[in-house]
Amino acid sequence: MSTSTIIAGARKEGRSLLTEIEAKQVLEEAGVPVSPARLARTRDDAVKMAKELGYPIVLKIVSPQITHKSDVGGVALNLTSADEVGAAFDGIIASAKRHVPDATIEGVAVQRMEKPGIEVIVGMTKDPQFGPVLMFGLGGVLVEVLKDVAFRVVPINERDARQMVHEIKGFPLLEGYRGHDPADVARLEQLLIKVSQFIEQHPEVAELDLNPVFAYKDGALAVDARIVLD
Amino acid sequence: MPISPDHLRRVLNPRSVVVVGSKKADAYMWLRNYSTFKDGPLYSVQIDPNEIPGIEAMGVQNFTSLMDVPGDIDYVMLAVPRPVAPRVLADCAKKGVAGVALFTSGFAETGEEEGIRLQEQVLQIARDGKLALIGPNCMGLYNRRLGIRQSAEQGAGEAGDVGFISQSGTHGINFGLVGEQYGVRVSTSISIGNAIVLDVPDYLDYLADDPETKVIAMYIEGFKDGERFVRSLRRAASLKAVVVWKGGVTDAGARATASHTGALATPTAVFNAVVRQAGGLLATSLEDTIDVVKALLYAKPATGRGMGLMAMTGGQSVVITDAFVEAGLEVPRLSEASYEQLRGFFNIIGGSYQNPLDMGGTIGYGGGTGNMKRLFEILDADPHVDAIAMEMASGFLARMWASNPASLDTLLDTLVEHRDRSSKPFVAVLQPQHVEDVVRQARLRVQERGIAAFASFERAARALRRAIDYHRFKAGLD
Repeated sequence: MSTSTIIAGARKEGRSLLTEIEAKQVLEEAGVPVSPARLARTRDDAVKMAKELGYPIVLKIVSPQITHKSDVGGVALNLTSADEVGAAFDGIIASAKRHVPDATIEGVAVQRMEKPGIEVIVGMTKDPQFGPVLMFGLGGVLVEVLKDVAFRVVPINERDARQMVHEIKGFPLLEGYRGHDPADVARLEQLLIKVSQFIEQHPEVAELDLNPVFAYKDGALAVDARIVLD
Repeated sequence: MPISPDHLRRVLNPRSVVVVGSKKADAYMWLRNYSTFKDGPLYSVQIDPNEIPGIEAMGVQNFTSLMDVPGDIDYVMLAVPRPVAPRVLADCAKKGVAGVALFTSGFAETGEEEGIRLQEQVLQIARDGKLALIGPNCMGLYNRRLGIRQSAEQGAGEAGDVGFISQSGTHGINFGLVGEQYGVRVSTSISIGNAIVLDVPDYLDYLADDPETKVIAMYIEGFKDGERFVRSLRRAASLKAVVVWKGGVTDAGARATASHTGALATPTAVFNAVVRQAGGLLATSLEDTIDVVKALLYAKPATGRGMGLMAMTGGQSVVITDAFVEAGLEVPRLSEASYEQLRGFFNIIGGSYQNPLDMGGTIGYGGGTGNMKRLFEILDADPHVDAIAMEMASGFLARMWASNPASLDTLLDTLVEHRDRSSKPFVAVLQPQHVEDVVRQARLRVQERGIAAFASFERAARALRRAIDYHRFKAGLD
């Protein structure tokens, strides 16, 4: 499905929040590297999609009524075979129905369990004066407690992207702290530019969060994505 | 219909000026402020017969109606009571006046209904009459060359080279007054008040194109249109350096901003990023703004961050180094060739030359020896050194400079010779120490010779850092 179809679909249903699957499809189409997620409506779907994506696999319940997925047993991690995926699919559906009996269950999101990298976050909010503002920071405690983030107004150019990544105080972590692999800073910068281009082309996007993005020594990948429309 | 650049140029460079509402109670403030205006007629409009003799005693011709004033009028300072402001403004429109600065306050900034209503009325009259309106609630124009001032204490005559835009009358006046004490002179400064017709971007566009203005600085609290501000800032910064001093950066300060100018707050971190992205430089106070402007005007452009540091004693060598490193500059080791030369003559008893150069014992008391010149030549030739800063040791030397002014002149001759020969930026540090009165006199002498002197290591370092940031931005670096 194309971006416009997805956005129109959400609007038609009266939703301003895209599902993770929709958000990732939209971003993928815009050239932002994301860990793909597919919607499996049946056990067989899930097994087939897992095979396509490659193991290990993560399954997550998809229901507009369920936001805290793990609280209702709606998440299964590190599944390494078709049997495990199949059993987890059944388990998740059953558990979700038991916890939230009147929930509309659309299915289960199937995605790769990505190998961990350095966690960074990319976000966008709209400033009443300056319009869309892009944010970059290191994930976890560094952003929440220390507010170690960099901002730029959309659109950003290559220099802006470079400055965003370099100006956070935690930048040495991306350079390979204490023997860890250095992050692929160039790919992070590219990711920021792609996100900026996406936002520029879609003024109807009110908020965006890629959290976390895994920064690897040879690439960057948005593992979770959240998009809110105006 | 926006005001055209030619129209604004005429208003900010007027050839005929009228003050409406000058009165004894404020000692004819505006007529006094404009008493240095000699490039055309200055008239007064005042209907109160009790006020007219005092105005005429100042040698200013008074009219009882603006409509009676002869010839074209470029600039009107309107200082009348709030209820009559719309009526006089309507006269300005009818008369075909080019621009009006509305000193009168009590408009939307009061938050009260009557003030908001009157502001709407004023806006409508200005729009309909194509008036370039400055304010209301402002101190209007300071054009140093033309002698049109915001305060009778401000200088007049020779044009300065710094444009200033101020959302506060106080900071606008002070930038002119204080800046002049530190070698920074205004070309054109505008106190913009409530900015209901002409706003920050209009003035910024003007100053960006003004050939007299080499550097632009501003004090702002908020905007009506952030995206337009960014466009103007981007354009201006591509032409000349723009220093942005923002008031209301703390939560409590932002509350004060809301009641001062009613501006909508953007988080400070976002605002700072916006300015950096557009190529502007941030400043945090009047002194800080003047410092950065001074570094931009006086120090030669450079993009490298390696400092060559010169101090008179060991203790100062340590803290000058800390200050420049803290400001984000570097203090590298010098080249082998430099060390080779330094070894030949540098006095290492009570001194050292690693960089910083702890040079008191080498150059001699007061710096009158030829060794100082040699040190400058070595640093100037050193490929690791991009810029040079020197402590002037005012704590030791100021009394001597006072009693024997030739000693300061000798030192300054050496500094000026270096400055003229070298392509690297040079800044001096002249601390007030315990001899503030003497140092002030010395600073004026230093400035007269075109050397940038700063009151502390930190201020010199932070100012130079931002000047270098600007040149890096222009060069597409970082």
